[in-house]
Amino acid sequence: MDVDEHLDRYAGLPVVEFGFDDAPAPGERVAWKVRTDYGPPGEVEEFVEVFDRFLAAVDTTEVTHLVFGYWGPGYEVSSAVPRQLLLEAVPRLPNLKALFFGDITREEDEISWIQQCDITPLVHAYPGLERLDVRGGMGLELSAFSSTALKVLRVETAGLGAAVIRAIGASDLPNLRTLDLWLGTQERGGNVTAADLAGILSGERLPALTRLGLMNSDVQDEVCAAVAIAPVVARLSELALSMGALTDDGAEALLSGQPFTHLVELDLRHHFLTAPMVARLRAALSPVKLLLIDTAQDNHPADGEYAWYVAVGE
Amino acid sequence: MVRRGGRVTTFTVVGSPGDRRLAGFADACRAEGLPSPRLVPWASLLSGTAAPCPAGLLRVESPGGDPGVDALLRGPGDPARVGGGARWYAAFTAALNRLRAAAGPGTTWLSDPGDIAVMFDKRRCHTRLRAAGVPVPAALGPVTGYASLRAAMSDAGWGRVFVKPAHGSSGSGVVALAADGARVRAVTSAVPAPGGGYVNSLRAAVYEREDEVAALVDALAPDGLHVERWVPKAGIEGRTFDLRVVVIGGTPTHAVARTSTIPITNLHMGGRRGSLAAVRDKLGAVRWEQALDVCARAAACFPGSLMVGVDLLVDAGLRQFFVGEVNAFGDLLPGLTGLPGGPAEGLDTYTAQVRAALAREAAPCGT
Repeated sequence: MDVDEHLDRYAGLPVVEFGFDDAPAPGERVAWKVRTDYGPPGEVEEFVEVFDRFLAAVDTTEVTHLVFGYWGPGYEVSSAVPRQLLLEAVPRLPNLKALFFGDITREEDEISWIQQCDITPLVHAYPGLERLDVRGGMGLELSAFSSTALKVLRVETAGLGAAVIRAIGASDLPNLRTLDLWLGTQERGGNVTAADLAGILSGERLPALTRLGLMNSDVQDEVCAAVAIAPVVARLSELALSMGALTDDGAEALLSGQPFTHLVELDLRHHFLTAPMVARLRAALSPVKLLLIDTAQDNHPADGEYAWYVAVGE
Repeated sequence: MVRRGGRVTTFTVVGSPGDRRLAGFADACRAEGLPSPRLVPWASLLSGTAAPCPAGLLRVESPGGDPGVDALLRGPGDPARVGGGARWYAAFTAALNRLRAAAGPGTTWLSDPGDIAVMFDKRRCHTRLRAAGVPVPAALGPVTGYASLRAAMSDAGWGRVFVKPAHGSSGSGVVALAADGARVRAVTSAVPAPGGGYVNSLRAAVYEREDEVAALVDALAPDGLHVERWVPKAGIEGRTFDLRVVVIGGTPTHAVARTSTIPITNLHMGGRRGSLAAVRDKLGAVRWEQALDVCARAAACFPGSLMVGVDLLVDAGLRQFFVGEVNAFGDLLPGLTGLPGGPAEGLDTYTAQVRAALAREAAPCGT
């Protein structure tokens, strides 16, 4: 999974970790990464120190892509710490266009142990952001906002609160092309309902959306049922309903809803579909590129206790 | 036929009949033109009925999973159960000592029983490695149960640890623990047994209730625990990995990347072999050599052992290497051939050891 390996590339650019990787050649476009290590207190450099060195060493006016990695153990350090650093660095980063806020692997901190914060100040402080990726749903808050710049918004969680989902649905994002939400499980604070998704699925404030991912949900079937009748679908070329507990019920809902044959790609990976249902989908959705590999059953045969689970649930 | 002083070299192997390790080593001997090894069954050794060991090259293999042998080592019970490590270790080392006492001066041990005994005590192994300057994860002092574990974690300022039974192997009873106050998360091989106690499961179990985690740690503690700081491991191919590096005659000869989506990478617990090329790409040539050098240094702590298997952790930042374990019987890697350009290129781990042992025998003033 994405959560097991650090990003090699971000938004099309190679990731260069400050203080570790070779410095980029003059003029080379890179995504700068800043991170610290998990270590005994006092023995590792704190994130703030690494970031300060970064600001001092790099021509920050040329930084367009930034990846914030491990900022300390989630049980001690919330993302309010790196958020504050970014807010203070606004004058130093006039050209920041893409931010990955939490490239933290499962080995560094389980996604549900990453302590996030209210990221609304970030989107206000960087109105030129074209892409924002956030990992971790615990403590994550967002208020509805407006951005004409934002093209890609991705939120990876094991449990995404309904308030954040509603806030995104209520945001004015006229140029947003990609929206990926890992909805997660109730156990981890995910409590999505069709009503929470209504703002997004209406598409009213997302006129440019071409890719929608409503993924990694323990109620993936219900999500499918809502998507099946969603107005926004007509403008999409890519739809991802992957990583979740998708069963034949969800697929049936898709088949009985609006046509999906205009899609270029429908991603249903990590599914729990029966072979006959897979065959029906293939027949009904031709010529859509249907992503059906990586069935969850290949990894762990379903049994009574573990029957359905999401791809990133921890 | 390979002859030494006019005699055919025959290995003697202490092992358990039917174990595929024995078949692998015997195949290697025959492929090298040697007779099949003589077998000293662990069961005979443990029950005191073993015939005296013949002179020559002696290889000690794992007792393996033989239920009868397990009963002799740990006492009667479900062979899949977790625990009993202290008794296992006492019986295991006593048997090795008997073997040593009975062996004549003509016996050449491929692995020194003293080395093996240290490798099967993770606390002593950790101490030996650290004393030699080999990088190991920092460890807590003795812990006697869950309360003492949490107190020691708190004192050290650690929220994430690996709890390892001191005498465990194959990941049995290992607990990857994250803790923040009453919020805990433990990933382990151990699942509750219907009749009480714990058994090893091939699918990792996750516990998030503190009473469950406390019960598990308290159940493991009487057999001795070794607790290390959890070194976040790096990833390749979208999975977490570590390395098993076999060191033969002081040289790292075989390496396999073990990848997983859980903290425990053992291949029988959902781990699978990853691409070594991907690891080398990720590390770059210089750090790859550094990684192998750390393994060689770890192996050098066991100079009486022709072969050890080193578990090497690469930290998530790719900056540091740590030796997680050194395994006396860490060469069960079917189908794996040696590193290109090394002395075991194209050879499996057994063949490489047979050749290395014969070369050592042939060397003047050898062991």
